[in-house]
Amino acid sequence: MTDTASVSKPVRRRRIRPGDALLNVWGMLGLLFLFFPIVVIVVFSFNTGRTLQMFEGFGVDAYVSAMNNPAIVNAITVSLITAAGTAVVATLLGTFAGIALTRRPGWWAPGLLVLLGLVMVTPEIVSAISLLPWFVTLGVDWGFDAFNIGQVRLIIANSLFASAVVTFIVRARMTGMNEFLEEAAADLYAPPFRRFTDITLPLIRPAVISGALLAFTLSLDNTVVSSFVSVAGSTPWPVYIFASLKASLRPDIAAMSTLMLVLTLIVLAVAALILRRDPTGEGGGAAGLTSAMVGR
Amino acid sequence: MTTLEGRAAPTPGTADVPAARRRLRAPKGLGALPISVWILLFFILPFGLVVWYSFGYKPGLYVTHANDVLSLDRYGQAASPAFFSIFVRTLKIAVTGTVICLAIAFPMAYWMAVKLAPKWRGIVLALILIPYWTNFLVRTIGWQISLSPEGFVSKTLQWAHLTDGPLHVLYTSAAVQLGVVYNYLPLMILPLYVALERLDPKLLEASRDLGGTVWSTFWHVTIPLSMPGVTAGMLLVFVPLMGDYITPTVLGGASGSMVGQMVAAQFQSAQNWALGSAMAVLLMLAIFGTSAVVGAALKVVGAIATAATSLKLPLKENA
Repeated sequence: MTDTASVSKPVRRRRIRPGDALLNVWGMLGLLFLFFPIVVIVVFSFNTGRTLQMFEGFGVDAYVSAMNNPAIVNAITVSLITAAGTAVVATLLGTFAGIALTRRPGWWAPGLLVLLGLVMVTPEIVSAISLLPWFVTLGVDWGFDAFNIGQVRLIIANSLFASAVVTFIVRARMTGMNEFLEEAAADLYAPPFRRFTDITLPLIRPAVISGALLAFTLSLDNTVVSSFVSVAGSTPWPVYIFASLKASLRPDIAAMSTLMLVLTLIVLAVAALILRRDPTGEGGGAAGLTSAMVGR
Repeated sequence: MTTLEGRAAPTPGTADVPAARRRLRAPKGLGALPISVWILLFFILPFGLVVWYSFGYKPGLYVTHANDVLSLDRYGQAASPAFFSIFVRTLKIAVTGTVICLAIAFPMAYWMAVKLAPKWRGIVLALILIPYWTNFLVRTIGWQISLSPEGFVSKTLQWAHLTDGPLHVLYTSAAVQLGVVYNYLPLMILPLYVALERLDPKLLEASRDLGGTVWSTFWHVTIPLSMPGVTAGMLLVFVPLMGDYITPTVLGGASGSMVGQMVAAQFQSAQNWALGSAMAVLLMLAIFGTSAVVGAALKVVGAIATAATSLKLPLKENA
């Protein structure tokens, strides 16, 4: 059985069947399709013309003017602070929830899973229009001033989806682990906090770090919810782009978008490396990696 | 650390372990409390407020909502012919988009999971994840630049004499259709890939050993086993597509607008939160209603398919 398989495989590979050739072409075309607009943005970021749509000449003028535009720099700063804050909140909430869901799933566990699923599938526009009146109610009508601060609103709004993603990543990692080490620590009279910091946390560290990085990039990209909850003065980068759509798009936007794309790719590469080094959890294997990276 | 974990599996002591379990229990069940409170405060209560507003009305020009008189009038108003026609267009774009995504994604996922050499799989997967993680809005703007009548695609087509005049695709529902297929394609490829990658090659070999042709193996083994991926992919594409707000705003113009924009407009320009809330509730009902109907239909189709194959298999054995 194994002999025939090992003999027949190289033979099959050498002779490419028409069906396989067609699939190869289809796959390559699909990849080209997926990269097409991204390449367009990167190319047009080197456009020296006044508007983004008309390519006039090649140059890095757009990068220089983007860096010197206080509104753009401010938007990037707001986005980065929001992303960092979202990563912290989502990682804290998601890690504890992921641990609780695998270690002590009580009567509440199925309900919580359904809620997390709902948070993830609700269209962004519905989350956006429900958070706006709620923040106004809390901040203006009931006088909780914290909810009038743009940065606070943005972090809360972005952390909902992100914490659901972190929960599922941590839960996947915890499912592959048994509990004997934690029990051993308990038998040796380690208090709960020491048990958590010395045993549980090091074991799930890859999931926690990659979850935090994914939360960071998710928040960096969020447009719809952010554009509804943000207040004047704290406009995050995607909302700035969305607002300039109505006026006119300048090459500055493509330039800064290209830089942000590079940042996102670096963060994702780090997340992928951390997930790949993790040999035991669900993170092993390309399929598992995908599920974790998509966050679904 | 991880090697320790694998090694540490002694047979648990009879009396000690339950005691340890009891000691471990108390602090950890609390871990789910913060996220539950967070979801209650910033997901359930806000949506509850929207449902509450949907029974109210807009009392004056400068007031967004009032709830002193409750009625279902906003729902009647929301289901107006104007809303209904945009709703039908949205549904059409979403269903067409989901089907086209499936048609493009299935061969791609099959190619990646079955045909591609394992060393290339990771690279192609990364190439699909990069567009997925690139800013949604920025990718859509890439299409806006490409599709504009004075854009480079239009000029190239005219130069090659493939079109008579400038390209008139931007700000139509065709542009939105293209945009949504593009934007949601990775969400269809990834679950299909995961399902097809987990498919055991031994099953395909078994089917061939039993005399199945390439096509019968594909229909009776590959397709049924990829159904979880198909269902997941369709859900992941259809649900966000129905509520999409960015793609039609960037590419749609007046003739390609979708429900998400109508809801947004009630909260932004029109400042009629009561009507906007009713529209949002209707949108959610439509999304979950359609998903449930399609899910049930897929289940029925799946059951029929299984019944058909199980009827066929013993027949083949006899022949």
